[in-house]
Amino acid sequence: MKHLVRWFVVIASLALVATSCTGDDGGDGGGATSPGASPEPVTITVVDYYGEATPLSEDVIAAFEAEYPWITVKYEAGDWDSMREKFTVRVTSGDSPDVATMDMTWIPTFASKGIFADLTELSGGQLNDAPITDQYSEGAVEAMTFEDHYVTMMFDFDAYALYYRADQFDAKGIDVPTNWDELSAAAEQLAEDTDGDGENDKYMFEVYGNDCFHWCQFLFQAGGTILTDDNTAAAFDSEAGLSAMEYYRSFLDNGSGVYWGEAEGEPIRGIKDERIGMFLDGPYYMGLLKDGAPDQSGKWKVAPAPYSVEPGSYLGGTGLSIPVNAPHPEEAWLFVQYMLRPEQQLGVFTLAGAAPATEAALASPELTQPDEYFGGQAPFPIFADTMAIATHFPYVEQWDPIDTAIGTMVESVMLGESAPQEALTDGAAKVNEELAG
Amino acid sequence: MKGRWRRYLTGYALIAPALLAAGLFLYVPIALSGFWSLTDYSGLGSPEWVGLANYVELFGDDLFVKALRNTFVFVLLGMGIGPVLGFLSALLLNSTVRFRGFFRAAYFIPVMTSLIVVATIWKILLQDDGLVNQVLGLFGLPGHAWLSDPSTALPAVVVTSIWQGFGFETVVFLAALQGIPRELYDAAKVDGASYWQQVRHITLPAMRPTIMFVYIIGIIGSFQVYDQIFVMTGGGPINSTRTLVFDLIDRFQALNLGEASAVAYVLLAILAILSYVQIFVFERER
Repeated sequence: MKHLVRWFVVIASLALVATSCTGDDGGDGGGATSPGASPEPVTITVVDYYGEATPLSEDVIAAFEAEYPWITVKYEAGDWDSMREKFTVRVTSGDSPDVATMDMTWIPTFASKGIFADLTELSGGQLNDAPITDQYSEGAVEAMTFEDHYVTMMFDFDAYALYYRADQFDAKGIDVPTNWDELSAAAEQLAEDTDGDGENDKYMFEVYGNDCFHWCQFLFQAGGTILTDDNTAAAFDSEAGLSAMEYYRSFLDNGSGVYWGEAEGEPIRGIKDERIGMFLDGPYYMGLLKDGAPDQSGKWKVAPAPYSVEPGSYLGGTGLSIPVNAPHPEEAWLFVQYMLRPEQQLGVFTLAGAAPATEAALASPELTQPDEYFGGQAPFPIFADTMAIATHFPYVEQWDPIDTAIGTMVESVMLGESAPQEALTDGAAKVNEELAG
Repeated sequence: MKGRWRRYLTGYALIAPALLAAGLFLYVPIALSGFWSLTDYSGLGSPEWVGLANYVELFGDDLFVKALRNTFVFVLLGMGIGPVLGFLSALLLNSTVRFRGFFRAAYFIPVMTSLIVVATIWKILLQDDGLVNQVLGLFGLPGHAWLSDPSTALPAVVVTSIWQGFGFETVVFLAALQGIPRELYDAAKVDGASYWQQVRHITLPAMRPTIMFVYIIGIIGSFQVYDQIFVMTGGGPINSTRTLVFDLIDRFQALNLGEASAVAYVLLAILAILSYVQIFVFERER
């Protein structure tokens, strides 16, 4: 008896541990309304990870509510870092929002678990009274589609181009690189040892650590792919993969690159203190640069990402999704459509400094205006051109562990813990194990 | 008989709200989580029974095994150093030290500070151009990428956790120290016992329940480490700081609620066994 009591006390004192992944069974979240917008007052919940500079601004929401007076929007601001966890908790606990901003890299995992409402059914293939296929690029339409139906509507896109310190390029007589050899040469010319300790400490090329997205751009540019065409096996343990890995590592080996991992914090730190003079990233970084390094206005420019075999990029960005158990899917769809009108899409650029995803917004002259921050350049068309040839990540259920395996593989090479070929072989074995399992 | 019933009824009525709350929000979720750990479940739809497959999957998964190993290293380092430091600080503060109140408050301030804030401060301190490397530079020592090096990242996080938590241990030990009758020390002094003999033969035995409390609470907390790792390293580099709770949340975010629940139950089992062993050992010695 004494032992039983003791066990009970121990278990009770530890019980909290096991509650960390509990919730109810989700349910239907209150049931959907009947087809067609209901005149009954409805409150929809919108969760958004954009932060302060969100295009889902108070004014925009007020305008939506004025146009649809029976709908009230409960807007919940979040941040990218915690959004995924919060969204998962809410959807699985039956407290689902009606609309959520979704990183496109999360789509494979969530879609394969049946988290998203079928937007093909909800929309009838029409967005703001025109076919969805006419309003997005082919790559975007593919990225929004999972198993023959739409699971999200792309709100902003992410395709990589080269950001570089134009003032330093001019001062040092460096030409803008267009291929890998030129990029290597430019990086070596750009980097500086300002304290005379024999190691470069300024204007280096950013080599990102545990991040599948960054390295995969190089894989893409080397003509490689992550998985085979039928998504059944790893394809990056290849000549292209080895070339991409060795090339990425070469920036650290010759001292022209600076390693930037999780421990280093946000890369904007390195941009502000000028350790980073060149990096590959998406259009959303235009806004981050302006906010994070306003004193460097006029010093940066953007160029198409240099490549080895194939120009282009993997495609990321943000989608607007409606969870399968959203309480008011029809009203949520009205909100999604409203946010994808050209005037709201422009807000993605003007408010958030990111890139709108619809063709109508992309064609807007506002996006091609010279930008003072970028020395009078209009950087946006460079990203738009890249988007036209970008492809999305493989849509497989096991994407999360694959993403982790590739990120770890890249990190181990960049930190010198593994040789490139060894890491690729191990990484491919892990990915194949996941795909087989 | 009637009076006894009334007495029981009053007792049950008084504990009913707490029992109900614990039942609804603790034991029911625990039971559900246990059930899910035996299923393939995404959080939506119906769980599909898979028996012990999630547990088999976990122990065959390199990431989970690494997380398990990292967690044990974290606990061993943290609990090997933290309480000892706390105990020594308490001994110091219990003696006649000037500004004792100041030191007591100073030691406790990190405990009251948000763990996220503490982790952020240490992350900045430990960066390439951080204060730690600058101080090392003053002595002609080379700097180090503490959080980017897989061999030093976990120890660096342990140091942060010890710094944040040892003030709590100090205060608890200090309270226990002050409860030991002075007469025992006076008698020991008369018998010629040295300071360390007094510590060994009077202080430590008298503080055994407090030591047990500190270790049980500390070990439970250490096994649940997450916040400081999320802020400082994100589980990297190369998963060198990935811990069990980190692994659990990763699986939860991937909507593998079955596997996530299995991780929670592995954690629960480890803590239950360790706590039982601790209680057993301390009680046997008593």
